Amino acid sequence: MSTCNHKWEMADIRHGYLVMEGCPRCGGRAAFFSTEAIAPIDEYQEGDHYWVYLGSSQATKFNLKCVECGKRVDLDDMMGLMMSTCDDPECAVVKIGKKEGKGTWVYVALCADSTHASGKCVGAEGIKALNEYFNQNIKVPGKKILVVPCDQCCNIDRCKGIVIADTGLTEIY
Amino acid sequence: MKLSELANKAGLKAINEYKDKNFEGVYISDMVSDIITGAKANTLLITLQTHKSLIAAANLVDVSAIVFVKGKTPASDVIELADKAGIGLFVSEVDTWSMALKLFNLGIR
Repeated sequence: MSTCNHKWEMADIRHGYLVMEGCPRCGGRAAFFSTEAIAPIDEYQEGDHYWVYLGSSQATKFNLKCVECGKRVDLDDMMGLMMSTCDDPECAVVKIGKKEGKGTWVYVALCADSTHASGKCVGAEGIKALNEYFNQNIKVPGKKILVVPCDQCCNIDRCKGIVIADTGLTEIY
Repeated sequence: MKLSELANKAGLKAINEYKDKNFEGVYISDMVSDIITGAKANTLLITLQTHKSLIAAANLVDVSAIVFVKGKTPASDVIELADKAGIGLFVSEVDTWSMALKLFNLGIR
């Protein structure tokens, strides 16, 4: 077991598109990251799903690397981060935030599969490293960033939040 | 340099109540995905963006204050979120390049 008090930095920063897809048959959503010059908009069959393009935004993916011991944590399963503004008292994300109290900002690490049918979400090691990374340089006393996996969200359509994504970037001027 | 001193010297208009603290450097970007990978804690962010996602990104990396250039002013709900996050918001009428020059001429690196 490592005794390193990790000091993380971002590594393998890739710029591309976060592409959102929906399956009209099951209501599921999926996302993938593309480094192609133009975001793919193809519709295709995958098992029982028929994935239809819903939209895309410019996005960045990264991994984390410890500058002290060289350990790397891959964050390939994370498609984005969302600041939680959910107010559903039954939502686990809300409960976690309330338990932490004032000064804590909860961010949800979004994975590729909203239904979590694949059983995959951002793993514990990735969540731990993200928490350490985003908190290691905070200057404001009492402030804390808490990153949680999206399988804690009450419902992909109801759980409120602000996704950190560059949607509509060409409309800002 | 303290935020109030910067506001005074660079002709910035504060649009919320801010904690007058020293900031450490500047980051310029109009992409939130870039901000989370490039901006550092306690820095000043210069941008054209005014939407909520900007505040979510700035708060995540602990940006001290944001300067909106070209007179762009965020909506009230965005200002409210910045207030909660303790992020100072300022507006400048000049463009990004002119703001960068002003900051450089003030000795900010």
